Amino acid sequence: MGQCRDKPRQCERHGGAEPSLRRGGSEDRDVGRDDLRDASDAALVVAIGRWRHDALSEAFRRHSGAVFALARRVLNDAARAEEVVQEVFLRLWNAPERFDPGRGSLRSYLLAHAHGRAVDAVRSDSSRRRREDRDAVRVSVADYDLEREVGDVIVAEHVREAVATLAPGEREAIELAYFGGHTYRDVALILDQPEGTIKSRIRSGMIRLRQGLLDAGYAPS
Amino acid sequence: MTVRPSHDEIRELLAAFALDAVDGDEAEAVELHVRDCPRCRAEVVDHREAAGALATGHEPAPVATWNTIVDELESAPPMRLAAVLPVPASRWRRSLRVAVAATAAACLAVLGVRVVQQEQRFDAVQAALEERTVLAAALAAHGSSDARQADLRSADGAVLAHAVLVPDGTGYLWTDGLPRAAAERTYQLWAIIGTERISAGVLGPSPGVAPFRFAGDVVGLAITEEVAGGVVASQNQPVASGLIVDA
Repeated sequence: MGQCRDKPRQCERHGGAEPSLRRGGSEDRDVGRDDLRDASDAALVVAIGRWRHDALSEAFRRHSGAVFALARRVLNDAARAEEVVQEVFLRLWNAPERFDPGRGSLRSYLLAHAHGRAVDAVRSDSSRRRREDRDAVRVSVADYDLEREVGDVIVAEHVREAVATLAPGEREAIELAYFGGHTYRDVALILDQPEGTIKSRIRSGMIRLRQGLLDAGYAPS
Repeated sequence: MTVRPSHDEIRELLAAFALDAVDGDEAEAVELHVRDCPRCRAEVVDHREAAGALATGHEPAPVATWNTIVDELESAPPMRLAAVLPVPASRWRRSLRVAVAATAAACLAVLGVRVVQQEQRFDAVQAALEERTVLAAALAAHGSSDARQADLRSADGAVLAHAVLVPDGTGYLWTDGLPRAAAERTYQLWAIIGTERISAGVLGPSPGVAPFRFAGDVVGLAITEEVAGGVVASQNQPVASGLIVDA
C-alpha cells in the first residue's frame, strides 16, 4: 500500500492486501473488485465498510473532482480545499454508516459534507473576512458567472439550461449563499433586501433549478 | 423562551438550510424538524441534489490529496502497526525465538481484534443501510399519489406517529415523539377493520421507522403498549390512534 502512489483506478494494489470478509448478502451488497466501477453508491459504501481500499479509491475517482472544486470555490484557497477533500474521504472511510441512501446520492452526501466544512472554515475567520467580503461581493456578484463553475461539456449544457431558468434575484441569492458561504441573513444585508425576500428567493430558485435540471435530463456522473 | 418555528416557517428555510445558509437556533430547529418530517426531509434532499449539480468540477483533486489519504489509511489499521513492531538489534540473537513467538502471538491477537472490528463495522454499515432502505421506501410511499395516510394521535391530540399505506398491502409507520417504551415492554401496531383490531406487527420499544403488512378494508391504525413479545389480543387503551385518509 505504501508504494501505491498512483491515481485511483490506475493502481490495482489498493485493495490487494486487504482481508475480505464474506457474509451473506444480496448481490448489490457484496461486490467483487472488478465490479466496483459499476457498483451502486450503497454497494460501494458497504465495500468501504469492509475496509476495502479499492472501494474508497473508486469513490475518490468518481467524486473528488467535484468535492475539490466546490471546496476551492467556497474557500478560494486550493491548499485548504485539499484539506477538506482529505477530511471528507477519510470520514467516509472511518464512518461509512453515516451515508444515508435515503437522503440522496453519495455524491451529494460528500458535497454536502465538503460544503459544510468549507463554510465552517470561512465563517471561523468571518470577522476578518466579512469586512473584506462586503465590498468584494458587491463587485463580484455582477461579474460572477455560475455557468463557469461547470466544466464537463454535456453536464455543463444541462446545468446551463437549468440555471438559465432562474430569475436574476434567485440566482444572485443562491450564488452568495452556496458559493459565498453566507447565511441568508448575511445575503439579505449584502443585497440590502428583507430577510424574508431572500429566504423565498433561495427556495423558489432551488425548486426552479431542480425542475430545470429534470427537464434538461441532467444526470450526475 | 425560544418560540418554536411553525411548519410553514420551517419550510421557507429548507432551501437555505440545504445550502448551509441557516445557522444558530434556526438551523437547530430545522434539523430537529426534518428528522421527524419525511416531506421536509425529502425537500432538503432535493435541494442538496440540485445544489450538487452546480458543483461539477472540471479537474480532479490533486494527486497529493490522494497520497495523503493513502498515508492516513496506512497508519490506521492495527494489524499493520503490529507487523512493523521492531525487534531491538542488540538483543536480536538471544531474543529471536521469543520475539518471533511474541510477534506471531501479537499479530494473531491483533488479527483477531481486527476481524472482530471488521465484523462489527460491517454489521453497523449493513444495519444502517437496511434501516435507511426502509426509510427510503417509506419516503417513496409517502410521495406516491395512490397512498393513504394516517396521523396517529394520543388522547390529548398530540401526533405521536405517522403511517402511509399503499395499495399493494404495504405500510410504513414512523414515530414522531412517541417515547421509548418502558423496560420489558413493546409497542404493537393494530389495524382497525370494522370494529375489530387485528395485529399488524410488534414494533419494539423504540420503533423509529417500521414497515408492516395489512389486508382488508383498514379504516384506522392504533398503537398499544404491551409486554415484550406482543399479544394476540390487546386489552389496553391505545397510546395513539388515527383514521386513514386519502393523501
